[in-house]
Amino acid sequence: MLGQVAIVGVAQTSGAAGNGRTLEECIHDTVREVLGRAGVTHEALDTIVAASSDQVDGRAISIMLTSGALGGYGKDVLDTPSAGEHALVLAWLRLLTGAYHAALVVSWSGLEVNDLRTVQNLSCDPIFHRQLGLHDLASHGLQAGAYQSRYGVDARAAAQVAAKNRAAGARNPLATLRTPVSAEEVLDSPVVAWPLRELMLPPDSAGVVALVLVSGERAAELGRRGAGRAAWLRGVGWSLDSYWLGQRNLAELTSLRSAAQRAYAMAGLRQPLAELDVAELHDVTAYHELMAYEALGFCAAGEGARLIAEGRTGPDGALPCNPSGGSLSDNPYFATGLVRVAEAARQVTGQAGACQVPGARLALAHASSGFAAQGNSVFILSGEAD
Amino acid sequence: MAMRRVAIIGSGQSRFRFRRDDATYAELVREGVRLALEDAGIGIERIGAVVYALAPDALIGVSNAERWGAEAVGVDKPMMRLNTGGATGISAVQAGFYHIASGLFDVVLVAGADKVGECGHAQVVLNKIWDPLYERALPLNAINMLSLSAVRYMAKYGMTEEHMAMTTVKNRHNAARNPNAHLRDEVTLQQVLDSPTLCWPIKRLDACPQSSGGAAVVLASEEVARKLCPRPAWVRGVGNCAESYFMGDRMGPKAPQDHADATALGHSFQAAYRMAGLSRPAEEIDVAELYAPFSNTEYHAIDATGVCAKGQSVRLMERGHFELDGPFPVNPSGGTQCTNPIAVTAMLRVIEAALQVMHKAGEHQVPDVQTAIASGNGGDHQFFGTMVLSSDPG
Repeated sequence: MLGQVAIVGVAQTSGAAGNGRTLEECIHDTVREVLGRAGVTHEALDTIVAASSDQVDGRAISIMLTSGALGGYGKDVLDTPSAGEHALVLAWLRLLTGAYHAALVVSWSGLEVNDLRTVQNLSCDPIFHRQLGLHDLASHGLQAGAYQSRYGVDARAAAQVAAKNRAAGARNPLATLRTPVSAEEVLDSPVVAWPLRELMLPPDSAGVVALVLVSGERAAELGRRGAGRAAWLRGVGWSLDSYWLGQRNLAELTSLRSAAQRAYAMAGLRQPLAELDVAELHDVTAYHELMAYEALGFCAAGEGARLIAEGRTGPDGALPCNPSGGSLSDNPYFATGLVRVAEAARQVTGQAGACQVPGARLALAHASSGFAAQGNSVFILSGEAD
Repeated sequence: MAMRRVAIIGSGQSRFRFRRDDATYAELVREGVRLALEDAGIGIERIGAVVYALAPDALIGVSNAERWGAEAVGVDKPMMRLNTGGATGISAVQAGFYHIASGLFDVVLVAGADKVGECGHAQVVLNKIWDPLYERALPLNAINMLSLSAVRYMAKYGMTEEHMAMTTVKNRHNAARNPNAHLRDEVTLQQVLDSPTLCWPIKRLDACPQSSGGAAVVLASEEVARKLCPRPAWVRGVGNCAESYFMGDRMGPKAPQDHADATALGHSFQAAYRMAGLSRPAEEIDVAELYAPFSNTEYHAIDATGVCAKGQSVRLMERGHFELDGPFPVNPSGGTQCTNPIAVTAMLRVIEAALQVMHKAGEHQVPDVQTAIASGNGGDHQFFGTMVLSSDPG
């Protein structure tokens, strides 16, 4: 049987709040804040796992300069540049070994990069994909197009997702975009990468997100075993699909489906739509939230549009999705996946403020990375200790 | 709760050389993976999860190239990548160890590759690891950073240029016996001393090459290891410790650490020894594969293992203590000084330590090895990963 690991603190700095401070200062301040919230001292940390992106930060081995801001001096520091959320996976694995008891997990995304699309294009292989001018947005457009044509999805369904998330984001003090938009406005906004329209896309935000993880033993010492006192990691799955877009079935989020299967099996979840109270999904575009419903088993393949049309993933539905506003409202690019986990942890500990889903106890967080959502991770969080 | 036992049951490495124009990055990764799977005697379907070792993306020129390399390790598997600079390879093996020790997986593949010889010049890329305002403009690079350390080590412990040359002579002698090593020509003390100065006191023959090639390791749970491998290398201890970032913070009377020494590497070894239950390293360890890209850095790395007092390694080197047939062989593979494909260099330290424990090192095998240690240094001498491997599961 796997050991128990809980998230006992989350903190987040949004782009706007970071104005006037360097990235390192934002990281430092966010780390201090999360340690304070968790009631865990720097001395008590036995591992720090960060996720940084050299390309976004604009320097080689970005963890070097940021290590000091993380409190890394004299500490056990590792870095997972494959995705922000992988830092959480690795810290969780370390705590499960029983040899470590308190971990700091941090990821960030600066805004100083001149052109994120060019940066993303550099992750193309030099021979085939790079000349296409491919970047995240273009790949997501290809994917949304494949999905739309495979299942005959009406663009209105994606517009409804955008309207739902932007309405939620308006209540989130950490969000970059805080004005609601209607489905009609979304459909009237210009096409950016067909079938994606401007208001179906996330903004480019900056931010730092930090979490403190502890073992079950340490959680008990901290008095965090009571209901709603910590977010317990019940199930975790992560997976990476093929790199070559031409070899993939772009109409499905294949690696999300397998990541979800792993996480559900671990958490003992059979009917996610019925059993989960809330979900934070990595809506890299509005279409991708629909695709995620299907890969996560909230509905059958091609039924995502029906789910949103019936309001079942809305604030009053069976499974509210992205009550924080999702990445369509705030998108610190490389750290956005980990923000989904932080939001889910807030939900199951009753700390989500104006975004709180009443009585939420079991949450799902989804994080995605790469072209056409090549990589996906799923985390199941519970407000109840076993 | 006792931690689950984990062992290395197979490894693979390319025959490293300057360039590999015949293979893409992903193909080089696949080369290491194929060799490691063959060595472990398993198919890729047995791999439950993958950890990628890829250091600065800029060396490959493709960011997040681990995504490009998905096919090389088998798609739709749990995969993550580690990057702690030069320590990446050992950090990745440690991450693989945690995957299994957690209870979640039984067989994990750790893989990577680098094409340092094709990056233009590694030092131009490595200059970009320093902050844009203070130290980048000096301009620092890995060579002058560690020549500063050499000068300090000379002043503090009496190391000479001849001592540095002795390290090179030893490592080249060993590499000549390692078919996978990049620089395999033996050299004399005089040849090292006569080679052109790169940044005093580091000369061309004190320095590592820029290497290209792939490497991979297969880790397994106790149950699987006992079934598949007659003599696995058990992972008995892992350690990790970070230094400060700015060079200036390691110099001067008020500096918390001294740039001559590898203090954080010492802490990292102590953590690994604690986990392994070692208390007398000089007696309990048979061989060491230590990350030392320049001849001088092998000395403070040896000091950090605790097998001798600080600075004593210089005297012991004079007496042949660290040679292939000496009492405490260091870098029987020839080490980083003879082969440096940056993303997997520290993984090679682990692989070579495992080969020694498994008695599969061939011509550079040290007789009767039971326990071996490995280390990796990353960043600007900032991140230090260590491991203890043993034929005794403990």
